Amino acid sequence: MSKKLLSLALTAAMALTLLAGCGGNTTTSGSVSGSSSGAGADGAKGEVYYLNFKPEQDEAWQALAKAYTEETGVPVTVVTAASGTYETNLMSEIAKSNPPTLFQVNGPNGLANWKDYCYDLTGTPVLGELTSEDYALKDGDATLGIAYVIESYGIITNKTLLEQAGYTVEDIQSFEDLKKVAEDITARKDELGFAAFTSAGMDGSSDWRFKTHLANLPIYFEYQDDGIGTTEAIKGTYLDNYKAIWDLYINNSTCAPTELASKTGSDAESEFINGQAVFFQNGSWEYGALTAGGMTDDQLAMIPIYIGAGDEANQGLCTGTENYWCVNKDASPENIQATLDFMYWCVTSETGTAAMANDMGFVIPFKGAQESNNLFVKQDAEMTAAGKTPVSWNFPTMPSEQWKNDLGSALTAYAAGTGDWDAVVSAFVDNWAAEYALLNG
Amino acid sequence: MEKAIKRFWPVFVLPTFAAFLIGFVWPFLQGLYLSFCKFTTIDKAQWNGLKNYLYALTEAEFLHSFWFTALFTVVSTICINVAAFAIALALTRSIKGTNVFRSVFFMPNLIGGIVLGYIWNILLNCALTLLGKPLLSLHAPYGFIGLVILMCWQQIGYMMIIYIAGLQSIPNDYLEAARIDGANDRQILWRIKIPNVMPSITICLFLSLTNGFKLFDQNLALTAGEPNHLTEMLALHIYNTFYARSGAVWKGYGQAEAVLFCILVIAISLVQLRATRSKEVQQ
Amino acid sequence: MTRANTIRDRILSVILTILSVAWVYPVVMILLNSLKKETAITTGTAFELPSGETFAGLENYVNAIESKGFATAFWYTLVITLTSVALILICCSMCAWYITRVHTWYSRALYFLFVFSMVVPFQMLMFTLSATADRIGSASTIGSIAQRFGLSAPAGLADISLLPLNTPYGICIIYLGFGAGLAVFMFCGFMKSVPIEVEEAAMIDGCGPVRTFFFVVLPILKPTLISVGILETMWLWNDYLLPYLTLDRTKGYMTIPILIQYFRGSYGRVEMGPMMASIMLNVIPIIVVYLLCQKHIIKGVAAGAVKG
Repeated sequence: MSKKLLSLALTAAMALTLLAGCGGNTTTSGSVSGSSSGAGADGAKGEVYYLNFKPEQDEAWQALAKAYTEETGVPVTVVTAASGTYETNLMSEIAKSNPPTLFQVNGPNGLANWKDYCYDLTGTPVLGELTSEDYALKDGDATLGIAYVIESYGIITNKTLLEQAGYTVEDIQSFEDLKKVAEDITARKDELGFAAFTSAGMDGSSDWRFKTHLANLPIYFEYQDDGIGTTEAIKGTYLDNYKAIWDLYINNSTCAPTELASKTGSDAESEFINGQAVFFQNGSWEYGALTAGGMTDDQLAMIPIYIGAGDEANQGLCTGTENYWCVNKDASPENIQATLDFMYWCVTSETGTAAMANDMGFVIPFKGAQESNNLFVKQDAEMTAAGKTPVSWNFPTMPSEQWKNDLGSALTAYAAGTGDWDAVVSAFVDNWAAEYALLNG
Repeated sequence: MEKAIKRFWPVFVLPTFAAFLIGFVWPFLQGLYLSFCKFTTIDKAQWNGLKNYLYALTEAEFLHSFWFTALFTVVSTICINVAAFAIALALTRSIKGTNVFRSVFFMPNLIGGIVLGYIWNILLNCALTLLGKPLLSLHAPYGFIGLVILMCWQQIGYMMIIYIAGLQSIPNDYLEAARIDGANDRQILWRIKIPNVMPSITICLFLSLTNGFKLFDQNLALTAGEPNHLTEMLALHIYNTFYARSGAVWKGYGQAEAVLFCILVIAISLVQLRATRSKEVQQ
Repeated sequence: MTRANTIRDRILSVILTILSVAWVYPVVMILLNSLKKETAITTGTAFELPSGETFAGLENYVNAIESKGFATAFWYTLVITLTSVALILICCSMCAWYITRVHTWYSRALYFLFVFSMVVPFQMLMFTLSATADRIGSASTIGSIAQRFGLSAPAGLADISLLPLNTPYGICIIYLGFGAGLAVFMFCGFMKSVPIEVEEAAMIDGCGPVRTFFFVVLPILKPTLISVGILETMWLWNDYLLPYLTLDRTKGYMTIPILIQYFRGSYGRVEMGPMMASIMLNVIPIIVVYLLCQKHIIKGVAAGAVKG
């Protein structure tokens, strides 16, 4: 209270002395919201403030928010965090007097940090629209987050180039096939004029493709064997397979293994678009960039990442989510209600589902979902329909960012020849237990 | 007259003072208080005693960032000042085109740290790629060298201007007298020029020292602390502790680290002040 | 001049020329790359000139301005810089005059405080300062003030803040507070050397302190005003962290240094073309202003440093 008094007193003092200097400009010309902010003078209607994670979807969200406001009169503000700054943005925004009402976490480990801010969604209409309970993020009995987008990743293939090399996508049904094709292409690299795999991008621009997404596979198969969903100590049963696929990547890429550390994710992407490589490990989110770069659906296909483990004949793409919506518990009741209404509208209304499917290219785990025009998403659906089992995303159970970073450094060193595989194994197995203890100790 | 002015304090002092209260005094005191607390927002602060400080002083990453910053500051201070002084000497020799050179060297100073960081990130990564070497953010030594190059590019021009001003203020009589006495160029440099620009040298040293210690924007944009926080300097480390970690304890740690950082910078300034004073007495 | 000396000067000129080219090169490189097509910009080819195939014309610039909101960010950056510099120059010179002309314990204490604030790093205040700005900004809306007194504000006025410290229009007050140290220090340094007699004469002629200040003192201060103005402009135009933490993001307020970070996607993809175009759009006005008044800028910096 005393602080508020002080700020009022300061307000008065400043208003007297400084209005002359600056007060003429004090209209809120950039304002988009109609009612008052956090102090809630007449907030009977409520309003929504969404802190969006994905910069590439910013425009689509802004448009959707505008459409919702036109339809219902409820103001929706969408602010997008720059890449890599979501946590810092959320941290600074949530402490403000007008905090986000809707934000996102990346899974159980993200939730552990933010659960004190999450509203229990149990019994809300939007939760009832989920196609599967698996897409709800729970903490005990409470449902604190719900997935709003399902994504897939695998090996994106340039079919045209593959045919030039004398193969088709159907020829690749296992790790052995993949290895055979890749090594054959490498052997004829000069004659063909392209390589098997794109270069890596081991810096922040795309290191997650290997230290997180590729590392998901050995974890997945180990979890399958043990019938578990998370662990405090990984055994590393399938690390030899991890080594095999990593060796395949680095020895058959557009550049020598020692030079991988000097490439970025953008380089890998341009190589693929410019037809310098057949295979590019990435996900459905990459579709927009590839088509913008001039590639067509006829040229593209996504195949599963085979590492020579499990039932390869029935292996699907890696499909899952690390994008969960959470509602801010500390927002005012009107704002919470407005936010829930907005979420429900996004995933059920014609406008909302169309925007999410077409403008954002998302496949959403809700009953009212429309079919996305994203080729890779469609392929994932086809494979699942054909009886293949998608590989689930287990990397949200990785113990920490530190663990991923150490693994990334070890992989880079191994590729460059300055480190050995034992270091990777140690970063994978020993660090897991150590980091897990630190997190939960 | 003093009395007349005194009565007008609401006009002359109050605007600045009120803004100063809001923009400095109040946040400073609050920050000082919060460094002894565990908090996520200001309302929810709990007294935590000296725990934050004990943690900060033993955290390996904080200490690493301290040594990294110290090393960076020393190296960049030396590079910048030697180069700036050399260029200033060259530009005071009445060569053709002095003004053009001076303008060119000063130009990077006007570009902001974030933009500079991105520019050099692109340039250095391109050079490293062509050499087949790891990128800036994958190899800490390159990150360090990159930061030093960036700072040199930005700051040399600024320091050069100050040195030129210093060199030009040396009375011509001194130099002519020395020449008549048969002094060679080296003697003139060490016996006359350097002692006479001592004030400029102290100013430049001080500026580059504090700039080095407080560096934030360039660090964020060039390496962002990669790989693995190894190129994270103090200011960026404090920022990351504050905002990149969620959990109730981190803000307290960050604020305590910020206080320590603040004390460090103040200490450097005090040493500097004393050094300048003693020089002034000698002259 | 001896022959040896002219040869040495020649060599020096050559070295300096090479150095200057190296100095300008990074900016030229960005300029050239900003004219390339998106797919042609890769890590390894940044040194190459755009060719017929990769030349994209002004496409990246159009993209940066149209879809990335560069114009808005530019406008806000301009507003923040101009209002803050104007406010700092006027208020701080007045304050410095008072401090140097009135000799009491509190004017000395004030001077000491200002000098102290110059040294304190921003990280010390970043959290509390942005929290203060946010609180005052939202507690001073007409709506919430009216509510405090049990009234309801007229619709349309409720959202207007009397002290909007978290907007580009009110942030100048924070900058006045946080930037006062350097300005007051420099003004005081200069004012101590200004003869007091002129002012006394003006006061005896019947001028009040306010008129004396504006018509007698301020004109004498002109060189220092330029110095301080230049130093503060260089800081404000490029400042990143303070506006990043302070400005109300829900209203879309953004400055150029903040905008430049928005060209990276969530999966690490960087839109290099528009990003480099934005960098150029940030750098070009700086260079134009610099070329127009470089004499003042260089003199201002030199004078500022010697006093600082």
